[in-house]
Amino acid sequence: MALYEGLSAEKQAVVLDLGSRYTKFGFVGEYSPRCIIPSEIRCPRTNKVRRIYDYENEQDLYSLLVAFIHKLYFKHVLVSPKDRNVVIVESLLCPTFIRDTLASVLFRHYEVSSILFVPSQLVALYALGVRSALVVDIGHEEAQVIPVYEGVPVLTAWEAQQLAGRAVENRIRDNLVRAYKDFAGASGDAPMPIPGVDVASLPESVIEDIKVRACFVTTRGRGEAIADGKPPPEPPVLEYLLEGNQMLLVPGWVRESSCEVIFERDNEEASLANLILDSIRKCPIDSRVTLAENIVLVGGTAMLPGFKARLMEELKFLMKTSYENRLAFSTVKFHTPPAKENYTCWLGGAIFGSTDMIQMRAFTRESYLTKKAVPDWSNLATNILYLSKLTI
Amino acid sequence: MSYLVQEDFVRYECTCGSLSPIPKLYFCRHCLKLRCGYCVCHEVDSHYCSNCMEHLPSAEAKMKKNRCVMCFDCPNCFHTLSIRATTRAPEDGSNKGHLKHYYLSCFFCRWTTRDVGIPDQIASSGNWPLKENPHQELLSSFLEHYKVVAMRERSQKDKKPIFPRRGYSTYTEKFGLTNLIARKRAGLPSLPLPGKEVNPASIPPIKPCVATDVIDTLPASYFTDVPDLTKITTIAQRHANPMIQATVASELHPQHRHFFIKRSLRCRSCEHNVSKPEYNPASIKFKIQQAAYYHVPEIRIKTFEPLRAGKPSEIILKVTNPTSHVTSLSFSPKSEVNKGGVSDSVILDSLGAPKKTVEIPRPVVQDEPNTQVELPTEPIVLPARDDAAEYDDSGDTHNFHDDANVVVWRKGNKAAVKFRIVPDRGMKPGDRSIFSFSMEYGYVNTMPTTAEQKSPQRAEMQVNVLIAPGLIVGNLD
Repeated sequence: MALYEGLSAEKQAVVLDLGSRYTKFGFVGEYSPRCIIPSEIRCPRTNKVRRIYDYENEQDLYSLLVAFIHKLYFKHVLVSPKDRNVVIVESLLCPTFIRDTLASVLFRHYEVSSILFVPSQLVALYALGVRSALVVDIGHEEAQVIPVYEGVPVLTAWEAQQLAGRAVENRIRDNLVRAYKDFAGASGDAPMPIPGVDVASLPESVIEDIKVRACFVTTRGRGEAIADGKPPPEPPVLEYLLEGNQMLLVPGWVRESSCEVIFERDNEEASLANLILDSIRKCPIDSRVTLAENIVLVGGTAMLPGFKARLMEELKFLMKTSYENRLAFSTVKFHTPPAKENYTCWLGGAIFGSTDMIQMRAFTRESYLTKKAVPDWSNLATNILYLSKLTI
Repeated sequence: MSYLVQEDFVRYECTCGSLSPIPKLYFCRHCLKLRCGYCVCHEVDSHYCSNCMEHLPSAEAKMKKNRCVMCFDCPNCFHTLSIRATTRAPEDGSNKGHLKHYYLSCFFCRWTTRDVGIPDQIASSGNWPLKENPHQELLSSFLEHYKVVAMRERSQKDKKPIFPRRGYSTYTEKFGLTNLIARKRAGLPSLPLPGKEVNPASIPPIKPCVATDVIDTLPASYFTDVPDLTKITTIAQRHANPMIQATVASELHPQHRHFFIKRSLRCRSCEHNVSKPEYNPASIKFKIQQAAYYHVPEIRIKTFEPLRAGKPSEIILKVTNPTSHVTSLSFSPKSEVNKGGVSDSVILDSLGAPKKTVEIPRPVVQDEPNTQVELPTEPIVLPARDDAAEYDDSGDTHNFHDDANVVVWRKGNKAAVKFRIVPDRGMKPGDRSIFSFSMEYGYVNTMPTTAEQKSPQRAEMQVNVLIAPGLIVGNLD
């Protein structure tokens, strides 16, 4: 094997972006991941599919990760994990617990030679070639807003809410249940659903499929009208074929209004647009214009049709109304990364990892085995030592 | 065969603590320990295409991005695409004869390359167009830029502070003038330092992305048209090609088929292979296969009385000696620490220092024994395996002083042993009864471990066994 390993002695490092719904995995120096697969694994004992993030305790997470990483290496990138460097792209707000367990799995079970943890919000900028940006990550679990100014994440200004893919999926399910109740109560020439569809217990994959293929983010004007209870003319009904011969009717208003959950402003004033403006307001006043004119949207939920246009409309509306005279900037601009939104952070990690940074900053197996802990920005015990290395 | 389809009734405790049936276990003949898929080191051995059985050396497979040169996958249903040929008259009207044209077609979902406007090819091997990353150039410039930036940072960090040489002093040093400053004063350019000093001017420039406030609005068709789900791709179809992620079916593009691999397994502590397949993907044989069922006595359940909570019942287990050496089995209560056969000899690495192996954390085992077992006190001798004896119907001629209440049957290297088990009183009908014991057996190691020991070494081995014969059928009364 080693005979044919190629001329370069250095093994190409791998980049792992373990998302709560989808995992991106590939090699450094490449411009797209080798695979984007659901972060789930079939449990060999119970034969049930389990999500990695639905773990019960540390032991459970450990064994889920062992099985999942085995799948990533031996089914998708087809290299041996041993003595190979890993770049892990993780959010700055990633729980320490997951990070520690992941490091333990990679160092102890897979014996990787080193791990380079890179903050996803920071390396997303490497895919754009800019130094300052407001990174808005809308994934499955959470929408996170973290400004990065001149290569330094402004941690005091972070904002996060559970306004992401999962919220949309929950809303689709609720709306479908409501729609089916209406169908049952309606009379006359209303479209009658085919009976036998248990809407409340539709599998998540069906709801996700409806979200991806049939839902869209409507314009602000129509969204307001829906919120006021004066719905505009409805988009047409979609007939969605379930397994077997069952037909699920997805009314137009479900398709249109389910994504509204991200933009609804309730009394807490915590829509996605609010989060973005709040985050910028927490930043020093002389950095606000730069940040507002460099907004980067990453994460799969940002790929919904109409999402960017709606967010822009919302931001412009808020800037004119409730945030007027409180912002110190007047324009917002979005970046278009040279990649799909769902792997932009991964791409940044792949570019960053292909430089000499792995040799310089990676956390090696030897130091893990002696320290028995992973350094982290939030950990004071290691923070002082690593302080000089946190900035890029 | 029955092992493949049946539930795991008899499970052995691996050295790492996980429980597996014996066909899933390996036996490292160098450290005399049981190993399982969880506690061995997996390695990629060879890459092959599961469709055309082509195999490539790993360097070449890496260059081809782990994809087969010939075969394609259907972007619609992920089945393999087949090459189809049609004949068509030449377009210029000349009668040079009919030309063959080739296109790719999926026999499963009927998708063809013509559906998405990929032109037919004249050669059957096909020079099928592949999609390039549309941002290739921009991203390459970023990569170059950041590589140089990182290299500069590294060279600055690696630069050692210069100490003045002892033994002689130059005029300039005496007066606090270093060479560098002296050159500066004289208006000369500074000498390039040795090493990888990079001139700031040589950093390749990049064109950063520019943000815009002009965002395409949602097309009005979304509000008026019914979406045609046959034309919109699913999320699995999108993720199959992460670079393109086509949202409409007309942009789907076939991809070369992804390779499969053969794995070899290596013991973590002594780094010897416990399993190594043959290189040829068409072969299902192994070069090395240290499976546990060649070395460890096998236990099977022959029969047992219905299990009732609190009531003793008899169970007959059949034990088989797979080795070509006589062994003797003895049973004792399950031991907490699963020790290997010989005392752990320290394994030295190539430099002679003891090798540091890190034990992997023990996996969680949820099954706890809930049934008491009465174990035979006398050891049971099992003769060596003799393939010829399998066909010998003349009856058994060996003289073993067996207790007829314990060993109820014997033939060749096999024996049936009677145990008495008592499920705990608290158990309800339908509960799974589990009992465990430790089995000690003699093992003859034919592998020369060190240079001095040429003769086979005899070792006493021990393994914990968990047996789950079945469900409780009723209570005592």
